[in-house]
Formats: sequence, structure tokens, C-alpha cells
Amino acid sequence: MIELDTHPSGAAVLRVDGRLTMVDAPALRAAVGEAVAGAATTVVVDLSGCEFMDSSGLGAVIAGLKAARQAGGDLRIAAPSPQVLTVLQLTNLERVLRPFASVAEAIDVG
Amino acid sequence: MSAELTLQAPGVPASLDLVHGLLQRAWEQHPDVVADDRMRFEIAVVEIAGNVVEHAGDPDPIEFELALRVEPDRVEARFQDPGQRVEVDFSSVTMPGELAESGRGVALALLTADEVAYRHDGNLNHWLVVRRRAA
Repeated sequence: MIELDTHPSGAAVLRVDGRLTMVDAPALRAAVGEAVAGAATTVVVDLSGCEFMDSSGLGAVIAGLKAARQAGGDLRIAAPSPQVLTVLQLTNLERVLRPFASVAEAIDVG
Repeated sequence: MSAELTLQAPGVPASLDLVHGLLQRAWEQHPDVVADDRMRFEIAVVEIAGNVVEHAGDPDPIEFELALRVEPDRVEARFQDPGQRVEVDFSSVTMPGELAESGRGVALALLTADEVAYRHDGNLNHWLVVRRRAA
């Protein structure tokens, strides 16, 4: 399940609950689109409640990163589980999707 | 000798939740499988399940079967579906570039399993995923 929230700083926070697989990947893509259309330049994907991510979920995050960059902004991920970190390492995406410890840290980077 | 856990499900994305559920049951029955083996096997199995669902649903969803087996030295998943033959060449599978939005599934499965095999036999696709358990 994906929930979209706006942080007082103007950043959009997308909270992923449960698993992010082929099932929920389209919803994440749509939510990032909605956030970017709503003028949010910083999009934070809060993964603290995400227990499992597959390559489809990762593809949706990358699509979101590209959409945010195209709008002149950025997409950051926060609080990934060990499983998500493993997937990021194995796919060589730790640099392009640098994980932040919390949503607050991801927003504070500016 | 361990019992086999099986499921039969339609080749649609929602069936991935059933695959996770079956893995959960396997771990409940075999709490001795260590967390790292569970996590990496689950990554590989779900990637192959995603592949099966993607191809099995073309053009109409068809049923696939999954059998899980936990042995003292390995965990094993076998998929079977009557979908179209899949063209896959494991020797040429590479991880796509950073900004690719797809194409990581089989590469990820190969990195997290010790063995991934595919064959098309008569009218059926067969996938095998094996992870050797930590000693």
C-alpha cells in the first residue's frame, strides 16, 4: 500500500507499507507522478514499513527518480530494510539511490 | 525428507502474494533455515515468479504451479506453467544500467540463488531455483 503525504518543507513523502512488488509498483509510479504534478521537487520514499522489494518495485522507484529529476527535483529513499539494502547492493544502485536513515534525514539534505 | 509445499494460482501479479505466503509457511515449518538464506532465496523465487506471471499472462492468464522443498542442505523451488516458451540465455544475462526501469529480474535471481534453470518440455515451462543452505 502507498500513502502520499506532504511534509511542511514541501517535500512529498510516499510511505510504502508491506511489499513493493509487481502488485504495488504501478501505484508507486502513479503516486510519484501525482507528487511531481503537485509541484513537490523533493520526493522521499519512506521504506520503513516495506518488508520486501523486488525488481519491479525497484523499477518503479527508478521511474520515480527520473520523473522527479525531470521536474528539477530529486527522489530519495529512507529507512530501507536489510532486504531492500541487499537488492540495492546487488543491482549496483546504492549510489544513485543513496539510502537515508530516516525521512527527516532525507529531507534535511536540502 | 521434507514435505513439499505447493500452490496453484492464476498467472496474475496478485498471485505473488500467494508465493510470499507459501514461503512464509515453509519458514514456519523450518525455523532452522537462517535469515540470510531465507531472504536471498525469497528474492530469487519472487523474481522468477514475476517472470512466470509476466509470460503466463500473455495473452490470457493461465495457471502456474509452485512446489517448495526445504532439504537439510538446500532450499528448492520448482515452477511449472503451460505458457509460451521463454527465450532466456543465462550466459548473456547482465545487470542493466542504473536508470533502466526493468530487466533486472533474472540477473537478481542469478545473484541470490546457486542454481536457476529453465526448460520447455512439451507444452510446459519449468523453472528451478536452488539455494544451498549455509553450513
